[in-house]
Amino acid sequence: MSEKRELQRQGFINFLRTIQKAGLPVESLSDSDKLVASGLVDSLAILQIVMYLENTYGINFSVIGFDPEQLGSIGNILDLIEREKP
Amino acid sequence: MLFDLSVGNLIEPVSGRRWDQPEISGQVTRRIARFQKYGLAPKDRVFLAFGNRLEFFAELLAVWRLGGCAIPIDSRLTAFEVENLVRAAAPGLAVVDDETPADIIQTLSAAGVRVILTTDIDAHESSASFIHMDSDALILFTSGSTGDPKGVVHTHRSLRARWMSLRDHLGTAAFRKTLCMLPTHFGHGLICNSLFPWLSGQDLYITQPFRPDLVMRLGTLIDENGITFMSSVPAIWRLALKLARPPQLGTLQRVHCGSAPLSAHVWEDIRRWTGTKNVCNAYGITETGSWVAGLADADVPAEDGLIGQGWGAVIQVLHTNDTSRTLEPKDRCAPGQSGYVWLNTPAVMKGYFQRDDLTSQAVIDGWFMTGDIGVLDDQGRLVLRGRERDEINKGGMKVFPSDIDAVVERFDRTNDVCTFALDDLIYGQNVGIAVVLQDRSDATICALYAWMKSHLSESKMPMRWWIIDEIPRTSRGKINRDSVKAACQDLVPLDLPGILGRAAS
Repeated sequence: MSEKRELQRQGFINFLRTIQKAGLPVESLSDSDKLVASGLVDSLAILQIVMYLENTYGINFSVIGFDPEQLGSIGNILDLIEREKP
Repeated sequence: MLFDLSVGNLIEPVSGRRWDQPEISGQVTRRIARFQKYGLAPKDRVFLAFGNRLEFFAELLAVWRLGGCAIPIDSRLTAFEVENLVRAAAPGLAVVDDETPADIIQTLSAAGVRVILTTDIDAHESSASFIHMDSDALILFTSGSTGDPKGVVHTHRSLRARWMSLRDHLGTAAFRKTLCMLPTHFGHGLICNSLFPWLSGQDLYITQPFRPDLVMRLGTLIDENGITFMSSVPAIWRLALKLARPPQLGTLQRVHCGSAPLSAHVWEDIRRWTGTKNVCNAYGITETGSWVAGLADADVPAEDGLIGQGWGAVIQVLHTNDTSRTLEPKDRCAPGQSGYVWLNTPAVMKGYFQRDDLTSQAVIDGWFMTGDIGVLDDQGRLVLRGRERDEINKGGMKVFPSDIDAVVERFDRTNDVCTFALDDLIYGQNVGIAVVLQDRSDATICALYAWMKSHLSESKMPMRWWIIDEIPRTSRGKINRDSVKAACQDLVPLDLPGILGRAAS
């Protein structure tokens, strides 16, 4: 993993800690685990993730469109950041 | 059939299942035969422990035709909560579906309730017609699932009064294809979003509730099914406005938003997204059969808190919230003057189930004290200004702090507790909790968390926790939840995921 991606990952993990439900440590998730299905976040938290990506990386979902799968896991989200903000 | 001569079609747009009127009739009459086999008699109470699928509506009509009273319950309740509701309501039968958890079925059976799978129906059909207008038709438990349950009882007469009022004020044309994405154990979702259109002969499209994946493709769902009407809550709209493409075909004729405050800003955004100006901030309370006021013609400038006129209800704003004395003309606030919102409607509930004490605190001479604060403007329109009810409005679903406090107080290492509302970007409000524990060890906190998980449904679990030395109290020794919230917000919340993670490793 590149240093840049690792930093982005750490930033996103720190953000997840502020919105996650209590029962599951975020560290226990792999990058491919589903955020909602694992129980880490509420399904409506997807909106908070969108706002994080808009505010932190300037990704404009009204331009690129929205695909829930893109935000399904930590890995997918990091891929999205890399694609939109290389 | 019940309210009109025929019901509309029932459709699950996600699964593609569709029941037309002859199919619905057969589904109901076969369930009547099955309930008769189980000995369901008039006035018997039946839990419906599932919802938001075609079978739910067939079960409801079958129970009603046999003179029974239906009690739809939240399918996400814990076994502890279900056991508590069973103790209060004493249902003889419970209908479940294939997704009902095994521990819920076990709890119902252990309490002596006969459990029936909704798809387990008789091959032969039977008819019945034991509906009496003043018999109990519906009980909706709105709070107290962990302590003293508070169930709103509606009779067939009060429900019909609500539907008739809506028909008089809104007509049925705009409801020709109605979408319901709200839970069917919820007054707003069941009585008004679902039953009013469907029992008026309009088609009802029903989905599982609060499914973000569906909300994200709401525009497509509306276009593909030609939806003309839908209702929802602001939290769902915030998600749709951000993430769903708008509908393209212009089929929506009317949209309601309710169960939580609607800002003028979101109101206008919904109008732009839906393509109709006829977006209404519908004011509804389960005790009055939900939608009790709004704008029949909603093509007016959006205003924060603007509701509109009563739909089959007289609205008064009074200086008093005292239900222990007769109301008088001098209690009335002047136009523009803020006060307590009272409603007088034939759709008011019969009362709270076996809780005359609570009923008398809420209703006097047919007037229902809402607990909301508002004004009547110079056009006689209601504008809401706030609430005095002790509740947390989590995306339109009401969470009662006392329900959570009651569970935490029973944990053997709790000294004191206060649950309160937190501001939340998505839900509007979420649950925060301050607890005083005998010790702050990880083991005690983990044990408290486990205790709460086993007693509280997921929607009631706090989002933020504070372990503090003392719950601040007023000079009279009372807890002011707003003051506790203010005190906590200066402190660092508990890193509960970290503690649970350490304990698990």
